Amino acid sequence: MRLIARFAQELQNGIEIVDVYDKETQKSLLSFDNLKIGTLTKKYPSAIWMERKISDEFGVEFIDSFDTRPLLKHEHFPSDIYPLRKNFNATEINFSEYKPYDYEAIGGDGVFQVAVGPIHAGIIEPGHFQFSQAGEEILHLEIRHFYKYRAIEKMCEGKEPMAIKKIVERISGNESVAYQVAFVDILAQASGIELPTSIKQKYATLLEVERIIHHLTDIGFIANDVGFAPALALGGKLSEEARRVFAKITGHRFGFGAIKEELTIDFGSLIEFLNYLEKELEFFRDWIYDIPSVWDRFDTTGKLSVRKAIKYGVVGVGARASGVKVDARDNDFYKNFGYQMQLGKKGEVSDRFKLRFNEIFNSIEMIKNFETYDNEGFEFGEFKDGEYSAFTESSIGELFMYLKIKNGLVDRFFVRDPSFINWQAFHTTIYKDIIADFPLINKSFDLSYAGSDL
Amino acid sequence: MYRYWKKRFKTTLEQDEELEAIKKELKKLVKKKFGGSLAIRMVDSGSCNACEAECNALSNPYYNLEELGIHFVASPRHADVMFLSGVMTFNMYHHAIDCYNQIPSPKWVIAIGDCVKDLGVFEKTYAIKGNSIEVTHYIPNCPPSPKDIIAGFLEFAREV
Ligand code: SF4
Repeated sequence: MRLIARFAQELQNGIEIVDVYDKETQKSLLSFDNLKIGTLTKKYPSAIWMERKISDEFGVEFIDSFDTRPLLKHEHFPSDIYPLRKNFNATEINFSEYKPYDYEAIGGDGVFQVAVGPIHAGIIEPGHFQFSQAGEEILHLEIRHFYKYRAIEKMCEGKEPMAIKKIVERISGNESVAYQVAFVDILAQASGIELPTSIKQKYATLLEVERIIHHLTDIGFIANDVGFAPALALGGKLSEEARRVFAKITGHRFGFGAIKEELTIDFGSLIEFLNYLEKELEFFRDWIYDIPSVWDRFDTTGKLSVRKAIKYGVVGVGARASGVKVDARDNDFYKNFGYQMQLGKKGEVSDRFKLRFNEIFNSIEMIKNFETYDNEGFEFGEFKDGEYSAFTESSIGELFMYLKIKNGLVDRFFVRDPSFINWQAFHTTIYKDIIADFPLINKSFDLSYAGSDL
Repeated sequence: MYRYWKKRFKTTLEQDEELEAIKKELKKLVKKKFGGSLAIRMVDSGSCNACEAECNALSNPYYNLEELGIHFVASPRHADVMFLSGVMTFNMYHHAIDCYNQIPSPKWVIAIGDCVKDLGVFEKTYAIKGNSIEVTHYIPNCPPSPKDIIAGFLEFAREV
């Protein structure tokens, strides 16, 4: 079984730990006077962050866990509060005394530490990378995030479900449509309605356009990270053009607010653009596939082995480039519209780079099949109390969202961004590389910090 | 090879007269007020990353900010201006201020996006501090488009 998420929620009589696997969901109730449960980390290493997060938020102790350091609670964060508990209502806390964080570090003669971040050299989100180096070779890397931790989950609690939509669509800007689609899926379940097929086609269309834009941006930036700037110019140009088309059809360059009960898409001009894009991209591919100095750097770099990908439960582009078949689109609906899973072989930078090209071509094909002029809309009814969850394939990977409605209000909102899993497997990919390859490997995964941090 | 590329890349960019006019004036002002070179340090204090994506877009061929003498730099110590985005989280607070302090004077702060000013659509939580660094100029919207940012930059350059 693949572990998708482990999270907690407070009930009347205790804290419930919810373990979501691909085949089933397990729940365990812990009484308030004994907040302890066994760890999953020995079998599922990506449970490490999940459990550390729950400890920080709820004060639950994980028996036999080998990593109990705080995750969200950074150096100045008070350690004696459990903010996701229902009795915690403060919206302002004071900085507590500085407590150093105990980084994973390798010692020894000539071994030194390189600390990168949280603020980085380029225009990137904040996060910290702690390297143990022997010369240029990387001995170990610890990734430390949650600098952007905004407490989105708490922010959503106590509000009407519709009122959090504008927050949900801004959790991770590059995946906004994916978040919205998952959220609307949940609301539809909660009001007991089935979305009309034409609406699903339109949502899927926007989701694929979002993916195309993200992949185009990455193709330029990945190549730029090996010093091949012309690819950045071309990738940047194409992604800007795609974004402008996206803005025309959704009214927003990132599609904020695009997933609505009624929606018309100008498929004519979209497909005209996609035909143009397809040609440009064929040129781009033939051109860059032929430049040996680029592939010298891409090949054998940043290898995510199949074994590690499965062990960590990696999702999305990262998994598929290693040949692991996970994709939330791998279902009949998508297959009917021409979805074909794209897979890489070795899980190297080159595989992830090529995969992005292949996925764009497949997305273009699907959008052409999604074309519909059916103007069916729908209306949400009343949202019934209960627990609901949804999956979408964002441009990064599988997104899992959970919503619990109680007395008509949001009682618990939780998301597991694909990046949250993939970040944890990241360190396994760098051991054969030198530190100068790190930005390249990082870009080839292009994970979100905001979505992971929440 | 060079000729092949040149031919191939003779791609057309849609011209935007308004943008060109803004850029022309901005270039003049950068020359006059900043000796032709202005360096920006971008700091994300807890954004959704869309604001960063738009700042990245500033260097694509459509906007090509660099031709105006405006560059994004890797260190605050090389910077004249700080671009600040995001809600200023509890966990970023000290780092952002640290970064600001490392920028040599004279220095200016330009806020990118609604998040910095009033948290935008977000609400105050224990994990959000809100910005306390003095802002010279706000560029609103969620996110401001690259064109909004360039236009906002012009307003800033006129004011200082
Ligand atoms: S202003 Fe809007 S786009 Fe910018 S970081 Fe905030 S939510 Fe994202």
